[in-house]
Amino acid sequence: MFRSYFIIAWRNLIKSKGYSLINIGGLAIGMAVAILIGLWIYDELSYNKYHKNYDSIAQVMQKQSFNGEQSTQISLPRPLEFELRNKYGNNFKHIVMSFWEGDHILSVGDIKISSTGRFMQAGAPEMLSLKMIKGTWAGLKDPSSIMLSASVAKALFGDKDPMDKMMRINNRMDVKVTGVYEDLPYNTEFKNVKFLSSWDLWMANNDWMKNARDKWGNNSFLIYVQIQPNTTFESVSEKIKMSKQQNVDAEDKKFNYEIFLNPMSRWHLYSEWKNGVNVGGRIQFVWMFGLIGLFVLLLACINFMNLSTARSEKRAREVGVRKAIGSMRYQLISQFLSESFLVVVLAFVLAVIIVATSLSWFNELSDKRITMPLANPYFWLISLVFIIITSLLSGSYPALYLSSFNPVKVLKGTFRVGRFASLPRQILVVLQFTVSIALICGTIIVYRQIQHAKNRPVGYDRNSLLMIQIKSPDLAVKSTIINSELKNSGVAVEVAKSGSPLTGVWSNNGGFDWPDKDPNKVGEFATIWITHDYGKTVGWQIKEGRDFSKEFATDSIGPEPDSTIAYSIILNETAIKYMGLKNPVNTIIDWDGYPLKIVGVVKDIVMESPFQPVRQTIYLVNYSAADSWINIKINPNLSAGQALAKIDAIFKKLVPAVPFDYKFADTEYGLKFAAEERIGKLASVFAVLAIFISCLGLFGLASFIAEKRTKEIGIRKVLGATVYNLWKMLSVDFVVLVIISCCIAVPVAYYFLHGWLQKYEYRIEISWWIFVLAILSALLITLLTVSYQAIKAALANPVQSLRTE
Amino acid sequence: MIELQHIFKWYPAGGSRVYVLQDINLNIEAGAFVSIMGPSGSGKSTLLNIIGMLDLPSEGSYRFLEQSVYDMKEKHRVELYKKHIGFVFQSYHLIDELTVYENIETPLLYQNVKSAERKAMVSDMLDRFNIVGKKDLFPAQLSGGQQQLVGIIRALIARPKLILADEPTGNLNSAQGEEIMNLFQKLNEEDKVTIVQVTHSEKNAAYGSRIVNLLDGRIQHIPQTVHS
Repeated sequence: MFRSYFIIAWRNLIKSKGYSLINIGGLAIGMAVAILIGLWIYDELSYNKYHKNYDSIAQVMQKQSFNGEQSTQISLPRPLEFELRNKYGNNFKHIVMSFWEGDHILSVGDIKISSTGRFMQAGAPEMLSLKMIKGTWAGLKDPSSIMLSASVAKALFGDKDPMDKMMRINNRMDVKVTGVYEDLPYNTEFKNVKFLSSWDLWMANNDWMKNARDKWGNNSFLIYVQIQPNTTFESVSEKIKMSKQQNVDAEDKKFNYEIFLNPMSRWHLYSEWKNGVNVGGRIQFVWMFGLIGLFVLLLACINFMNLSTARSEKRAREVGVRKAIGSMRYQLISQFLSESFLVVVLAFVLAVIIVATSLSWFNELSDKRITMPLANPYFWLISLVFIIITSLLSGSYPALYLSSFNPVKVLKGTFRVGRFASLPRQILVVLQFTVSIALICGTIIVYRQIQHAKNRPVGYDRNSLLMIQIKSPDLAVKSTIINSELKNSGVAVEVAKSGSPLTGVWSNNGGFDWPDKDPNKVGEFATIWITHDYGKTVGWQIKEGRDFSKEFATDSIGPEPDSTIAYSIILNETAIKYMGLKNPVNTIIDWDGYPLKIVGVVKDIVMESPFQPVRQTIYLVNYSAADSWINIKINPNLSAGQALAKIDAIFKKLVPAVPFDYKFADTEYGLKFAAEERIGKLASVFAVLAIFISCLGLFGLASFIAEKRTKEIGIRKVLGATVYNLWKMLSVDFVVLVIISCCIAVPVAYYFLHGWLQKYEYRIEISWWIFVLAILSALLITLLTVSYQAIKAALANPVQSLRTE
Repeated sequence: MIELQHIFKWYPAGGSRVYVLQDINLNIEAGAFVSIMGPSGSGKSTLLNIIGMLDLPSEGSYRFLEQSVYDMKEKHRVELYKKHIGFVFQSYHLIDELTVYENIETPLLYQNVKSAERKAMVSDMLDRFNIVGKKDLFPAQLSGGQQQLVGIIRALIARPKLILADEPTGNLNSAQGEEIMNLFQKLNEEDKVTIVQVTHSEKNAAYGSRIVNLLDGRIQHIPQTVHS
């Protein structure tokens, strides 16, 4: 019986190839989107699950109140560790202090590489359940030890056994390799931890950390914990809530510190906090994409239903014959369901092929490393369920509808599709076009917003600007020689050092006071430590006053205690506005008792997000604080390749122990758009797919209507209608549908896009032409799709269409 | 075999009713060959559909093989007709996507006949009607007469007791029509199959043993056997 069903289904597919292609292709694309999004969601939800103790690991965090606002942060004071260990120790299996992830130089003999890693306490490997290739989890017990990821071990030691070998970190810390672990997968918080070394070692090399031992005000450290199995995050959080507040100085009690645990399962998807409350984060994208995937699949299924039922008149006679020769209704239903099953299976095979071929592209788009889980039995089980549900979903309506035909009427030829048979199809087309138009608007606005921010004046010249981070003491010591060597060789026009990169603010300070200060304003500024030539190197624009110069003694040294001389500073425009100064130049301001004199004002430099306003910033000259980055303005007459080769040679000669590791300011700046560009690309992909699927729906409706009106078209032709008359008559209905969609889509799109843009301080206005453009393109697409069917019907020979009656 | 009593069929039209059939009383014995005649719109096809259980009357009772048709559940009714009744249509109504062989086989599928048995039955029929060579062709590849032959074989395949034919020769030329009528006569005489046909043609009606004349939904008179 089923064999016969499949035979007839197959022959039907073969007979009308165009229709089958549209039907299977449309469904396959819907499924491919659903599969891709499913894989993406699975990947997002399995973030951090690599760690066996996923369910019991948490990060200690704190909240503090200030001016009625509660802020939340992960950086904590060092004494909190002892407080937790001594008073609440029995709640924890592990308490692990960690320093921030950072870039460090690892060297073995002449081999030097730059690698990211962390300095953590000895419990880390066990807590994080690192998969050890060599050595044990106890590898960090000795302070002079390092554990390497397999890739770093390979890079440093090649095929030799790295165990118990000596090596150096940042050219100053001697350590012994005590373990090699499997590289952490890309979807964990610790993915960039390519080596782990000892917290105690790092502290021994950083006096300020030792000094922070009992400073409750120095929030510079990270604490990870694993709780005991018999307890919960909530109860432990409750216990440790006051552990900081009880210990801070009386004057700091007003900040109402609260300590709490943030479970590992929430790190990735729920990372945003507002006023002390978690407000989600990536989970919103998971929901949004999940909805889009479901929606695309649903649209594809409904299209399938519509195309099948639109052809029902062709199948009606077969149903009549089958009923007359004894088919029960359930047998017809199962026949049509097995047909849809066949189509769905074919579509699924096609979808898997589409997914397999587009996966690398999708990974690039979404910044993932998803693979097809072909060996995973759950994938196949889910796929099977998915196929069955889709076949039922897409096949049930045609099956029930077609099998309900009355055989006598069908065979007599008096069977007519009802007056309202096209209503569900019309609703569907409206729905699909609503989504398409909204997505077209979305894509245009996202792109324009990105473009808007890209065109924003950044206040300095990004071109041929190289940034090198100072990681090793050799580099810091030799920076003056490097500076002159670079300039003498002609490769650099200017060289300057700074405490922050051009694409970030690494230092903020409070305690500033100025004449006529509004008491409600906080005296907090971004403080950028620089050397004299910084302005010339980055090409900033002085608006008022002068640049720093070595000619002025007051420019040369940073603020020092008990000084009576006011040292020179330069402010950006935002700072002047913030302070409300009318004549800023030569104004004396105060920083915790040190006098500072404003000598110049520069145009705002965009160092942080190009979508947010620039912060009030103070630039100060101080050669020992400006020790994090070397900024090099390359000679514009040299190509990047030539310049890099020369700079590399100079570095090799002067600081052979330091790997030449550089960043271009313009590429670094470009990275700030990555997240927005990803949204933009995904939105445009979804828009194209939505339009495509909508066109299928439209095509189905158009062919249905054209077929239904064959007789009417024939009569009109006999009466003298031209092809143009008929085309207009058939197309105008669809234009009306699309206009209805526009009326729904435009306000919806406006609402959501307006909300999205609120995230950005530096943003475009939504202009009306965007909606006009979206509507016009939707109309154009509609007319193109419908015209095919309309003109085909209009050109048909009326004698033939009338004879079919 | 067939006992129709007081069969009425009407459609509501505005406030009144349009009668298609009025007070039809008709008995057909097993083994009969009945021709229903009458002008267009006299209700011939409706009567045939009611006999074939494809359509229900507005009023009246129907006994088929001593069983009251309208007292049974639909499922049983379908069982009854698919076992005992074969249909032949004016426009053949073969399924275009199926071959000759598969078209003939289809009723057996609906009666859950085993695969081997099905094969034997279909081959038998193909042999008997001498169209083995055409079994893999599709309906569109056959002439009208051949298509109707396949239609009749399909009606016969399940060995029905009754064949209902709605103008079986209506779309055929006279030579093809004659062949089909000869076939019906042969089936009636040799296989003892009861046949009820609707026809416009006096000539075709003459093949039968009895003629029922319909006019405006009423049976006119029932003449005695036309030829012995």
